[in-house]
Amino acid sequence: MIRDFEYFAPKTLKEALTLLDKYQDEAKVIAGGQSLLILMRQGLVAPKYLIDIKGISELNYIKSDAKEGLKIGALTTHRTVEKSPMMRNGFSVLAEIERNVASIQTRNWGTVGGELCHGDPAEDPAPALITLNATLKMASLKGERTMAVEDFTLDYFETALKPGELLTEIQVPVVPPHTGTAYTKFTVIENDLPTVGAAVSIILGSGDDICQDVRVALSASAPIPMRAKQAEAVLRGKKITDALLKEAGEVASTEAEPLSDIYASEEYRRELIKVLVKRMGKEALARAKKA
Amino acid sequence: MKKGLRLTVNGQPYELYIKPKTLLVEVLRDHLGLTGTKRGCDSSSCGACTVMLNGMAVRSCSVLALQANGGEVLTVEGLAKGNELNSLQKAFLDYGAFQCGFCTSGMLMSATALLNENPKPTKEQIKEGIDGNICRCTGYNSIIRAVTAVVKGEYKEAK
Amino acid sequence: MSKYSVIGTRVHRVDGPEKVTGNAKYTFDLVLPGMLYGKVLRSPHPHAKILKIDTRKAKRLIGVKAVITGKDTLGRKQGIWRRFPELCDEEILCREKVRYIGDPVAAVAAIDEDTAEEALDLIEVEYEPLPAVFDPLEAIKEEAPQVHDGVELNINVTRHIEWGDVDEAFKKCDHIREDQYKLCSQAHVCMETHDAVVSYDYGGKMTVWTSTQSSYYIQRLMADMTGLREGDIRVIKPTTGGGFGSKFELDSAQFCAAILSMKLCKPVKIVLNREEEFTATKRRTPMYYFLKLGAKKDGTLLAKEVRVITEGGAYTAMGATALYLTGFFSSFPYKYPNYRFDGYRAYTNTATTSAMRGFGAPQSTFVGESQLDMMAEDLGIDPIEIRRKNGMTPNYEVPGQAYIQSCGLHQCLDKIDAHIKERGKLPPNHGIGVSAYGFMSGGIFNWFDTPYAFSAAIVRINIDGKVDLFTGACEIGQGSDTTLSMICAEELGVKLEDIRIHAADTGICPVDLGAWGSRTTLMNGNAVKMAAADAKRQLLEFAAAKMGPNIVYDFDIKDQWIHLADRPERGISYFDIVKEAIRGKDGETIIGRGHYTPHRKGMISPAYSFGVQAAEVAVDPETGRYKLVNVTTAHESGTVINPVGIEGQLEGAIMMAGGYGYCEDQPMDEGKILNPSIADYKLIRSLDMPETEILEIDTYEPEGPFGAKEAGEGLTNPTAGAIGNAVYKAVGVRINDLPITPEKVLRALKEKQKKSK
Repeated sequence: MIRDFEYFAPKTLKEALTLLDKYQDEAKVIAGGQSLLILMRQGLVAPKYLIDIKGISELNYIKSDAKEGLKIGALTTHRTVEKSPMMRNGFSVLAEIERNVASIQTRNWGTVGGELCHGDPAEDPAPALITLNATLKMASLKGERTMAVEDFTLDYFETALKPGELLTEIQVPVVPPHTGTAYTKFTVIENDLPTVGAAVSIILGSGDDICQDVRVALSASAPIPMRAKQAEAVLRGKKITDALLKEAGEVASTEAEPLSDIYASEEYRRELIKVLVKRMGKEALARAKKA
Repeated sequence: MKKGLRLTVNGQPYELYIKPKTLLVEVLRDHLGLTGTKRGCDSSSCGACTVMLNGMAVRSCSVLALQANGGEVLTVEGLAKGNELNSLQKAFLDYGAFQCGFCTSGMLMSATALLNENPKPTKEQIKEGIDGNICRCTGYNSIIRAVTAVVKGEYKEAK
Repeated sequence: MSKYSVIGTRVHRVDGPEKVTGNAKYTFDLVLPGMLYGKVLRSPHPHAKILKIDTRKAKRLIGVKAVITGKDTLGRKQGIWRRFPELCDEEILCREKVRYIGDPVAAVAAIDEDTAEEALDLIEVEYEPLPAVFDPLEAIKEEAPQVHDGVELNINVTRHIEWGDVDEAFKKCDHIREDQYKLCSQAHVCMETHDAVVSYDYGGKMTVWTSTQSSYYIQRLMADMTGLREGDIRVIKPTTGGGFGSKFELDSAQFCAAILSMKLCKPVKIVLNREEEFTATKRRTPMYYFLKLGAKKDGTLLAKEVRVITEGGAYTAMGATALYLTGFFSSFPYKYPNYRFDGYRAYTNTATTSAMRGFGAPQSTFVGESQLDMMAEDLGIDPIEIRRKNGMTPNYEVPGQAYIQSCGLHQCLDKIDAHIKERGKLPPNHGIGVSAYGFMSGGIFNWFDTPYAFSAAIVRINIDGKVDLFTGACEIGQGSDTTLSMICAEELGVKLEDIRIHAADTGICPVDLGAWGSRTTLMNGNAVKMAAADAKRQLLEFAAAKMGPNIVYDFDIKDQWIHLADRPERGISYFDIVKEAIRGKDGETIIGRGHYTPHRKGMISPAYSFGVQAAEVAVDPETGRYKLVNVTTAHESGTVINPVGIEGQLEGAIMMAGGYGYCEDQPMDEGKILNPSIADYKLIRSLDMPETEILEIDTYEPEGPFGAKEAGEGLTNPTAGAIGNAVYKAVGVRINDLPITPEKVLRALKEKQKKSK
């Protein structure tokens, strides 16, 4: 049973922040709410005040700029990202990912920012955003700040958002030339939450196949969407071979901290990390060569 | 504590006074008596409550009714024109695309949303279009055949 | 051209227009004036004594109208095995002890659901937790806690089936295999959860609207439990959102709503939420299987020995039948000259296991077909060949058990053989596995102790020729209203639209035992056919009198035309004769009566259907993940009455049985089901569904209406076995515990690699 609450539907960011500032911990923010309402129904969350930000149109946009890259308003739905013509020039991986986030109904209503704020390590866009070096903009009445996506989630269902603060924008910088990014997830049933997900982004030098830089990130492999820095070190500065990718997968598997749960054992998750990192490394490499 | 809600459902405007925690599905079923929309899971995963809100398929069990304030909702009750079934409904009958019927309303709404957005979907796109809806009876393939028949133009829409 | 006008044609379901418009009314949708809403409080402990229940605070909550506990009941135990009182072991509202997490202890009726739920939190129950046992192999040990007092070693029921001389036969075998299997649970996941609206009035009459597979069972069991007379209880089944075996026993929604309604004389509605549906209704029986199979070098199967221990959960329910049938169907579909089955059902402190589509046979088919493929491989024989060599044939007697009349197994094997050959060479890591199966067309069991015929029907012809068909058969989605209407129309010689069916309302329909055991088409179909024939005979008497032909001519009706059977052009309109007949009978309506109870058909069923299925999988050997690519089935079910219905049953069974083979499971921790939501309980969705093909086989079953037999549950039997065999063909690993998850496949692949190093 959902407990009664007082409901506000601010129309501007300013109004929302004012309400949040007023009610602090007693308030919960709802966007698409498809995760929050389940928790409320189970009685795990019972806010006194619910601040519905879904209708704040100033946070619903996608902008693309040759210099600054991609800016996605936090209230943009998964479906809008999936369908956006701006998901190109290295950003197309984001549209690919969104296409496999749950069902169309979920994507139509759920927002990208909402999913990030839920803080579930088994979520899709975060690893790719991490590999794309994305940052998040947060606002409160005191002002704004930004933070790398990889620093945003602190623990299971816990984020760096402070009371009174809202996530407002996802910023993805311009993707350098010769960059390839790829993400895949393992699911038992198609389009489910990932049992494990892996994203790899590779930047090649111009005119050679040497890996200038690389980022590897994993979902459902640790308490947070994690960056696999040791695996990156295996690849950085080298000419990438199948053997090296295999090694990167193995290293990523070792540095990850997956759990055993009803979907998979820790041991199986480690096996999957090996395979997915290797495969996405290969795919990212192929894309980088074409880019 | 209650709040006003304006909603247009199947072309009919309504004004209601509801508790903020009321879900869209509850407004449809319990307040407006439109029981064609079902509830199957309470975890945003079965799709039986699918309706169209402002042209998009959404799960009405996972939307607060107030979040739909001012919006337009289409439910299964809005598909037939008078006493004439629409193309998808006729195709569901012809192809046996339902059995117990409990998922059928949601299935029809997902298929409607799909065809509105993409009148010529491929088989894979049809599968994707109904992937958010669980059917425990049919095994889906008859539903895919029914939608395919509509895509192929086997039915004429009633005016 | 078919000799039939209605059966075998592709028709719209008779309940179709209401369903595709959202207008069909389920119990879930019903609202009565003054109706209250109920909720059930359930045990959080797997095993505990109830020391005290304090309902005072809950009763004081504004909006709460009644709170009940076991003390408000007659304190009776109930169960569906009414002939065997010791197996009627479930109180529903527990008085002294709870036996699984989810056992009901109290219920509330309030003005709305939220208030009822709030009241549940205010009921204080003091428990004394008891040691609990969860695994049947542990439960049968001396030192195990006792789930029910006085039941030694927690053994609830045992079953023994034997023929031939098994021990002697094993001595003559060239090759013997012994294998062990572990079979998981499965949830029915009906889209409509268990629900009921019960209205008890001041005149002492009760009406129950409920989502059920047997309105008669609910009526009778409700009478047993409330002390009311059967006739004072009217059970009406509105449109029902699936059953699959979960809805023919008295459940907590029905019983608690009834007791609350009796206290208040107001209608009370209870709808189980999805979590309750997963944790506190019944489920498929998990089993430990021990198989020994002996064969000659040429593949002739000489002997089979089967030992099974099933996880019973807290109560008997239909578990005893699941045990017996898994034993019987372990011999299917082969001619074992020597066979022995010993089955034990152990009580455990887990949710009760009971009937689910296939009723023990999906379990036996998975293990039997897996082992048979291995036996074939050991002997160097093709899997199809070994099935041909031993497969059942028409007019075969299963010694002391069953007599099989029609059987199209060999035609099915031929078709599947051709299908596999047509597929030719497969891509790497693809494999096709086969599985043969059979199933019954309704059970000849009467553990329920009904004094009535198993099925019955009444046909009433109105003055304008419209026909009312009354039957207790339960449409739960499987299409019985359509199939029975088709049978009625065919027999009476009218069109499908001339029939209006009134089903599953005990107030107006004759008794039918319900929709379980794949019994409706054959048993109720026979009753409907007989009732229609009875009405038809009455019409023909008038036709004969009116037309006055030579006495040697026979009459028939087809397409609303009453005519001489051999001279179809000589006839008279059905509508004219109906009018005359009613006038001629002094205004008495024409009523035909029919009933069916199987006699002299062995222990199990009057008829059996057969089939063979081939499943193709594509395995990713690095992750173990596999996709079901194609499932092709050759199924014979006698004369096909409703072809659209059979397609739906078949494809739907693949979704359900494919899930049983691939991903559906109910993992537990100390008796707590860990995935009680549709988000966490994985079901096959449209993107996971394989291509499905149906290969038609023609057979005729003399015992069935127009030669028809079952096409419902049997189709759930083969898929898990076919998947297991396909995975083996694809990558060479065997998984002996269901479901065959990608994780298990990968683990087995790793072990195989280790061994080969």
